[in-house]
Amino acid sequence: MLNLNVNPCKMCMPMGAISALWGVKGCMPMLHGSQGCATYIRRHMSTHYSEPIDIASSSLTEEGTVFGGEANLLKGLKNMIELYNPEVIGVCTTCLAETIGEDVGAIVKKFYEQNSTVKVINVASPGYGGTQNEGWFVAIRSILEQMEPNKQPNGKINIITPMISPADTRWLKSFLKEMGIDYILLPDISDNLDGATEKHYERLKTDGTSITDIAAMAGAKLTIEFSEFTDEKNSPAEYLKETYGVPYVKLSLPSGASGMDKLISVLTEAGGAPSDEIKKARGRYIDAMIDSHKHSAQARVAVFGDPDFVVAMVWLCCENGALPVLAATGSISPKLKEMLANETEDCRKFHFAEEIRVLDDSDFSAIEKGCVELGANLLIGSSDGRRISRKLNIPLIRCAFPIHDYIGGQRTRILGFDGSLCILDQAANAMMEKTEGSFREELHEKFYKPQTAKKAADKTATHPCFGEQACQNARVHLPVAPKCNIQCNYCLRNYDCMNESRPGVTSKILSPAEALERYIKLKANMPSLTVVGIAGPGDALANFDKSAETFRLIREYDQGVTFCIATNGLLLPQYAQELKELDVSHVTVTMNAVDPSIGAKIYKYVQYMGKTYTGIEGAAILLANQLAGIKMLSEAGIMCKVNCVTLKGINDHHIYEVTQMAANLGAFMTNIMQHLPVKGSAFEGLERVTNKEIAVLREQCGANIKQMTHCRQCRSDAAGTLDRDVSIEFRESVPEKPGPEKFRRFAVATQTGAVVDMHFGQADEFYIYESDEKNARFVETRKVIKYCNGPQCENKEERWNSVIHAISDCEAVLAVRIGPTPEKRLKENGISAITTYERVETAVLQAAKEKRRNTHGTA
Amino acid sequence: MANSRETLLEKYSAKVYKNRKDHLLQLAEGDKNAAIAANTRAIPGVMTARGCCYAGCKGVVVGPLKDVLVITHGPIGCGFYSWGTRRNKAKTDENTDKNFIPYCFSSDMQESNIVFGGEKKLEQAIEEAMELFSPKCIMICSTCPIGLIGDDVQAVARRTEAKYGIAAIGYSCEGYKGVSQSGGHHIANNGLMRYVIGTGDKKPKTKFSVNVLGEYNIGGDGWEEERIFKRCGIEVLNLFTGDASYEGLKSAHLAHLNLVMCHRSINYIAEMMKTKYGIDWIKVNFIGVEATCKSLRDIAKYFNDAELTKRVEEVIADEVATIKSDMEHYKSKLNGKTAGIFSGGSRSHHYQVLLQELGMKTIIAGYEFAHRDDYEGRDIIPQIKEDADNKNIESIVVAKDDKFYKETYTEEQIANLKSAGIELDTYGGMIPEMIAESVVVDDYNHFETDELIKSMKPDIFLSGIKDKYSIQKAGTASRQIHSYDYSGPYSGFRGAVTFARDVAMAIFTNAWPLVTPPWKNKPMLTGKLKEVG
Repeated sequence: MLNLNVNPCKMCMPMGAISALWGVKGCMPMLHGSQGCATYIRRHMSTHYSEPIDIASSSLTEEGTVFGGEANLLKGLKNMIELYNPEVIGVCTTCLAETIGEDVGAIVKKFYEQNSTVKVINVASPGYGGTQNEGWFVAIRSILEQMEPNKQPNGKINIITPMISPADTRWLKSFLKEMGIDYILLPDISDNLDGATEKHYERLKTDGTSITDIAAMAGAKLTIEFSEFTDEKNSPAEYLKETYGVPYVKLSLPSGASGMDKLISVLTEAGGAPSDEIKKARGRYIDAMIDSHKHSAQARVAVFGDPDFVVAMVWLCCENGALPVLAATGSISPKLKEMLANETEDCRKFHFAEEIRVLDDSDFSAIEKGCVELGANLLIGSSDGRRISRKLNIPLIRCAFPIHDYIGGQRTRILGFDGSLCILDQAANAMMEKTEGSFREELHEKFYKPQTAKKAADKTATHPCFGEQACQNARVHLPVAPKCNIQCNYCLRNYDCMNESRPGVTSKILSPAEALERYIKLKANMPSLTVVGIAGPGDALANFDKSAETFRLIREYDQGVTFCIATNGLLLPQYAQELKELDVSHVTVTMNAVDPSIGAKIYKYVQYMGKTYTGIEGAAILLANQLAGIKMLSEAGIMCKVNCVTLKGINDHHIYEVTQMAANLGAFMTNIMQHLPVKGSAFEGLERVTNKEIAVLREQCGANIKQMTHCRQCRSDAAGTLDRDVSIEFRESVPEKPGPEKFRRFAVATQTGAVVDMHFGQADEFYIYESDEKNARFVETRKVIKYCNGPQCENKEERWNSVIHAISDCEAVLAVRIGPTPEKRLKENGISAITTYERVETAVLQAAKEKRRNTHGTA
Repeated sequence: MANSRETLLEKYSAKVYKNRKDHLLQLAEGDKNAAIAANTRAIPGVMTARGCCYAGCKGVVVGPLKDVLVITHGPIGCGFYSWGTRRNKAKTDENTDKNFIPYCFSSDMQESNIVFGGEKKLEQAIEEAMELFSPKCIMICSTCPIGLIGDDVQAVARRTEAKYGIAAIGYSCEGYKGVSQSGGHHIANNGLMRYVIGTGDKKPKTKFSVNVLGEYNIGGDGWEEERIFKRCGIEVLNLFTGDASYEGLKSAHLAHLNLVMCHRSINYIAEMMKTKYGIDWIKVNFIGVEATCKSLRDIAKYFNDAELTKRVEEVIADEVATIKSDMEHYKSKLNGKTAGIFSGGSRSHHYQVLLQELGMKTIIAGYEFAHRDDYEGRDIIPQIKEDADNKNIESIVVAKDDKFYKETYTEEQIANLKSAGIELDTYGGMIPEMIAESVVVDDYNHFETDELIKSMKPDIFLSGIKDKYSIQKAGTASRQIHSYDYSGPYSGFRGAVTFARDVAMAIFTNAWPLVTPPWKNKPMLTGKLKEVG
């Protein structure tokens, strides 16, 4: 999404600025703006750190927005000093202060005129200026810029980190000590944001980097800045170099052996030496890497968070043989891609992965999409990933700010050898848990319950569309998929998709739960129901969540039923693997052209990845996905049927190529279909291809691939107990009426279904019956457009088309009454009218007998 | 304890003292008419617990509407911070096929949008939202910069309605408006009254239908209430606004009676519905067993139906019997303990009843954003002076609705019901029910919280996440009374037990005696070192 952020993967600048100020000794932070900012940030930090978080506010009100906030800010500073007696006050601005153009620097100057004992640092941190990551560095830089420097050389090393946990900060300090490094760490949040409960509690935090130490940073011999993403504008190290000539090294966060080795090298060069304990820790890490390599290698990881965190975790993954399929940050950080490109390439190749996706300026809707498309099985980041975790059933390692659904946010570890091990162990255990939780069932299914998981061949044999001898089997199409992502010129969107469902009928959309209900009901009445299909009314894959949920629910209920879907193929490459996992064994893809220039005439537009494409560009995208998708299906062992709508003068000369391509891609059969013009669609006026032409085409194309010619039998049985969900292939390619020697078919105008009790013109649906004179059998109901007698009504023709279209396979209409004109028009279409007021079954039996007599009579 | 107020105020500078002294009371014996200053500006720099106007509008009132796609118009922070933080639970029901509660939508404004205006971005965001989620209703909540840069969210809402044929409401609830969340509640109430309530026609199924106003279903409180109502045969049309839907609220005006839980945040709607539709409201309290019983009996009295009254009594008898032994157990543990409560605008009153049932005394009670009527009762309203900050929040005037206005009782009958002890169309406030020497604090801040705990030493302090850890670090048990520390429900009969257990758990956690290590003062083992040799 370009303008709508759906579930943000970032917070605002003041959050980061405040967090950094918590690492300064004796410092109280204040937000200059409306008091909600302080309240929200206190609330979020307190929940994560389980610590008191005092942040004052200048509590600007409407008056302040008009006259400026100076009075409030000065009052606030004074009150804070009285109540807390801090050494330092950090004043961070907010959206409000920046929008009204507060000159905080000038106000602070005024403050100093009255008060000289407390140091005030002002940080420009508008909420719209960046994320917490930028806010963090801006605050550190502001601290340094506004400090009285002590340039006396002191031989120390400055350490600047991005936002890391108090536990990692504590580790970093002890590690530097262990290396024999004399350092100044800014900021040091280790105790202030992870305090102890002791006899006495001090409101003002007494730990953190002292003003004296911060001043001495100007005289250090080196700065190490653990960020690859700061630039000359906000890098504290850069400032120290430019202003005081302190050289710096920029490193990524020290995770994994590679990160740690780099750090140790730099520190060794700077005069430190790894102790025996550090060497042992490294050894233990390598030992664990080996121990868990087979589990790590199963992981397909999605990492999200601040850029430096993401880089560290991606490298940790690569180092351990896990595949980082997705790396995402909410920050605007084009550099992330560049940073990760080389490092991840080997990993990608090793895993035969098509893509390692790197996203910046992203939100959780993009991350979720990536997780689905790339098959992530592990999430690493903040607790904001929990919604995806729950929805997609992917475990989440919570190790970044904020963590709101677990406790221990202040204790998470990702740095150093043992911090890396924390992540490594959790990742490996997540993989093991998955195996542990499912492999017995999988084995059981595979080896001991062959009857439940039917083989593909069996499924095809009992699938009414795919198996020629499967006419005794019924299937149901469940209308759970309303959306479509392409517009075909022969399809009118007001109605269902013509390809996959009857035109002119807007069926009720079922929720997955309702679909299950319908299935259960049907199955109870119709034991021969062996196939569940999702064929729209839009596109099954454009509504993948719904489709998948429906299949999951039904699979839980019925282990044996066969699943099929119908799709335009646009999203097939994305979902082929999921379809396999959902146990979908048959897929029908409608592919009307294999040449984008022909496709361009058929498709008005194609919506793909949030963009709308038209013309050749759109057709090419659709085609590329269809081709790749069909291939993936056949490779995955999914039976694929290709439907092709024959459009006169557009693709009727091209059908042969389509079927050839389908065969090459491994499709099972093709179904060449007649085009039926829909009023209102772009191809409304297109001439129909005749049945004969279709038959010829099928014969020609039969040389390429198996042709579907048996719709007729299927239709009578598959539709036998279903009403509106009959897909077009069964309806439209069999306009022939049942032969005289078999069943005769009748359309009955009835309100109740018991008695022929409706006027032909009043009926908005017909009950279709079949009879061989001995039995009368209900087939289905078919909706038609309601007839209207209004003088301005332009619907008459449409009504007629819809009626004729709906009952074209019937020999007669049974109604209470029928007008002379309609009777005549029916007759023109070879359908007679019988007026009666009888019980439906009786009427149908009578009509069947009468029809036979007439047929014989005229013969 | 007797002069805790004085001790505390002494620590302030003259200026702050002058301001705070009227917001802090220590009640004298039998003083039922103590006056307090409330709903005035917070003092800068004293760490107020208050939030902002946006938090009251989006966070509290409209955020819980599950089928509404709420877009926070502004930079990313405010949307993020109000995302899933109130524990207002919601499930999809027959009214809603979509539940947006797990989502956060923001127009995520960048610097250029602040400079050049953000309306266009907002409209594009709405277009994307329509494409992706096609909601029936969109609400737009403004953050600080919106009013300042001149974006017109109401106009955007109108255009949205015209373009997509859905309902859309824009709220100018910029954070700086008013003095606290309270302004935001009022703005949200106005919007719901103007554009939502009265537009539906789904009639109640029974003759005893109610809306529970000011019930946000934190930790499932509303569901426990609904369970009890269902047993009694009382039909809940809407919880306002916990687990509520736009679709349901549309027909709220067809209810027979309104019940008011949180008076502060929703009394505007209760009053306006009384004026416009003639629907009476009763101030109820489902926190505490006795309070729940009284509220149920009041409802039965109002409906004045023998069958209903009988059922209510049966349910009360059964429910009370079920929890009796649990409550007695916890009471035996908690008897004589003291508590302090700081909450938003209603719970400090509600929970005193429950604490009392557990044998506990409430010695400190305060509100973040309550008005004088929440402390002193609605009779005080005519005396409240309007100041500049309150005038900024629009007060709308409604007229009788020709079609739906219907009075259930005459004024005389209402007076009779009131004298029978029902808080009908009124609220008596918290202060009259508090004990002598207890301290009442308006717009409490961090400093006052710490100082009062130090001087009055309550055994437990019920407050929010912002105070929780300083209270605990200072050695006092604490429970979050805003979000229940992931627990709940606390309402109704079963909720009372949950609360009692949670309080006992907090006071008796084994950590407290361990805070001072035994080896610090005296040796753990005694004995003599044996001479080696």
